[in-house]
Amino acid sequence: MPSGADPVPGVRAALHFFRLKDRHSARRAGRPPSKREVALSHSGRGPHDISGAAYNFGVRNPSRALATTGLGVAVAVLAWPLLARPPRAVNDAVAATAPVRQEPPSASLDETEAVLPELLLSRQLMEQEGLRPGDVVTLATTPAGTDRTQFRIADRYEPTPDPTHFTSKRLEARLHLPDLQKLVADPDDPQASEAVSVLNVALDRPENAEALQTAVTARMPGLSVRPTSRPSDGTDLFGVLDRFHQAIAVVTVVGSTAFLLALMMMRAEERREIVGSLRLIGISSRTILGEVFFEGLLIALGGALFGVGLASAAQGLVNRFFQWQYDTPLVFMRITQSIAWRSVVFAVPLGVFAGLAASWTLLRRHVGSLVRR
Amino acid sequence: MTPRALAWRTITASPARAVLAVAGVAIIGALLFDMLLLSRGLLLSFRDLLESAGYDVRVVASESFPVVRLPVPRASALAAQLEGLPEVQEVAVVRTDRANVTLDTSIPDQAFSPDRTQEEPTTGQRSSQDVTLVSVSSAAERRAWQVVRGRGLAEAASGLARPPLLVSRRLAKDLDLSPGSTVMVRVVLAGAPSALPRVRFTLVGVAAFSFDRSDDFTAATTADAFRQTQAESGSDDADLVLVSSRAGFGSAAAVAAISQVRPDVKPFSNDELVSRFNENGFAYFRQISFVLSSITLGFAFLLIATLLTMSVNQRLGQVAGLRALGIPRRRIAAALLWESTWLVGGGGLIALPLGWLLATRLDHLLKQMPGLPERLHFFVLEPRAVVLHLGLFVAAGVAASAYPIWVATRLPIAATLRRDAIS
Repeated sequence: MPSGADPVPGVRAALHFFRLKDRHSARRAGRPPSKREVALSHSGRGPHDISGAAYNFGVRNPSRALATTGLGVAVAVLAWPLLARPPRAVNDAVAATAPVRQEPPSASLDETEAVLPELLLSRQLMEQEGLRPGDVVTLATTPAGTDRTQFRIADRYEPTPDPTHFTSKRLEARLHLPDLQKLVADPDDPQASEAVSVLNVALDRPENAEALQTAVTARMPGLSVRPTSRPSDGTDLFGVLDRFHQAIAVVTVVGSTAFLLALMMMRAEERREIVGSLRLIGISSRTILGEVFFEGLLIALGGALFGVGLASAAQGLVNRFFQWQYDTPLVFMRITQSIAWRSVVFAVPLGVFAGLAASWTLLRRHVGSLVRR
Repeated sequence: MTPRALAWRTITASPARAVLAVAGVAIIGALLFDMLLLSRGLLLSFRDLLESAGYDVRVVASESFPVVRLPVPRASALAAQLEGLPEVQEVAVVRTDRANVTLDTSIPDQAFSPDRTQEEPTTGQRSSQDVTLVSVSSAAERRAWQVVRGRGLAEAASGLARPPLLVSRRLAKDLDLSPGSTVMVRVVLAGAPSALPRVRFTLVGVAAFSFDRSDDFTAATTADAFRQTQAESGSDDADLVLVSSRAGFGSAAAVAAISQVRPDVKPFSNDELVSRFNENGFAYFRQISFVLSSITLGFAFLLIATLLTMSVNQRLGQVAGLRALGIPRRRIAAALLWESTWLVGGGGLIALPLGWLLATRLDHLLKQMPGLPERLHFFVLEPRAVVLHLGLFVAAGVAASAYPIWVATRLPIAATLRRDAIS
């Protein structure tokens, strides 16, 4: 198993996961291993469906376009026939639960384990089932455990966070492509060993994604080529959510402004007599307004900075809470410089405007009405 | 003067301030109301959508449904087997595929000829559109769509030479189709040219589809014609098998019976699907609704409390004078509570229509998400949300007035009057 290789999705399939119960601990204790295969349960609903994905793959005769790829935007090339109509073996793999047959292992433990292929299991699956590197597990294409293959766990891995499925438990495994193909390939399909579900392609020039899409589609009918970058017109899921969040922010700002104006009017009312006295001793309305402006500016700046600081402090708590709740390394909240600046740019003028507007209601009155009790 | 009248006079003494305070409460209240609607809206709408189809069990090939949607093999045999179960009332098979629909004006009134079914069109094409092509069992047609113009598939099919097609209103408008039009349908592959043959259909009607998507067009035809478009006469795969349980048994019994006779497929009751949706797809909106509801409620509490406290602080001398005149503390407290009630109650009531108006805008915005059924809504008006909204606002109002009431009823009368006189 090559270490440090980037996980590249190859064949995707739903498999069922079994474990030789207590084998590892039994061997260490010098006792014969349990011969019973146990289907893992998941909320009482039967064996897991886990997605298997090869992390090492090869493609014969890659096209020139694919061969010249490098860093940049990745383009997923989906093998449509596999996705639209998965092989029968895969179809049969995702079925309802059935009793597990009791079969003795065909070879002795040591002989079997010496030649076992290796796989990686997701951290979540390892933790949930209490597995450790070196343990032996069984993957099968049917809930009943037929067409099964034993694997030794090489290590664990952290699945790439996926914001569209952050609530799903990431019960996943990664296999060498030949192992996975051997496991799920349809014996009646001579092309089965050549088939993959997805190729990820990185381009030297990301802006060529569309050209590659056109070229590959024209040369290989049946393939679906999709850029992984977000569409620029904001029609994707996250574009819509962005606009939703902005709409809520605008409503909050409008509501806050109304409150702020009310508070500033009360504050100005409190200073009615002082303002009246200042005007009586000859200080002009413009000077008083200037004082109010700078006072408002300082208060608004202080408030905005306090708000940014509060949000920055809260983001750690929010992220830690949701990462704990959904067992994911996804970042849910991030206060960027751009967001902080936008907040300040919104808040400061609003604060100054509220102060000036409230004071203006006092200054336009006759000075006599200000000092009258 | 009653405490209520005193509170009213206090508020109306500064109308601009009162209007701004009520406006602030109303806007924040509208946001709170929207978050309460959002907290269950999608779930309620999803359940309503499922139940409106009239089937309470959905049979699929994989437990991973709806994330992974594998085809159900040998669907007709499965449907026949399920129809024989005593727990099952009715079974419907649903097949879908992506197809391209093109208006063909080259032979508008010619009789259908089997020899010409798979010919390429010659001239007269005006425009085309990619659609979701649907086929359901004939018994389920009345539940899957409502014909708004023309005839249904079953009643029209017998008298036609070409296979019948129903289209959604949006597709009819987009391609300028009307009953009697001839259209060409070709099943397509996502992002790739399709070599499948085009099939001529006669448009028999325009329908409102139950599961129509806002970003997509829909067309429906019979099972035979559907297979004809796929050039797979022998294929019997389906996307979904719908089951309605027999009265007296219920969906749980039907699910158990189906699991027992066909362990290779996975039946889901509507309750199970809603529960899964609640766990997975809905989690984001549940969380954001909870977080924003909490923040807006806390925000409203803080602002109302600040307003009332500042208002009381400005009138400490007045309050001390009233108490010196012998007005009991509880009447002072009642007056402040009424003041809070006028502000919060007024704002809270305005928040309901304002919130609903805002909710329709936000719903429209969120429904721009790709792949959502047109009838699915994020904000659903329900009495529970209105009651909860009013209850939370009453609680916020009472809590916000607690501190100013404490200040007003505990202030030292003589010292306050003296301070007020010399200030």
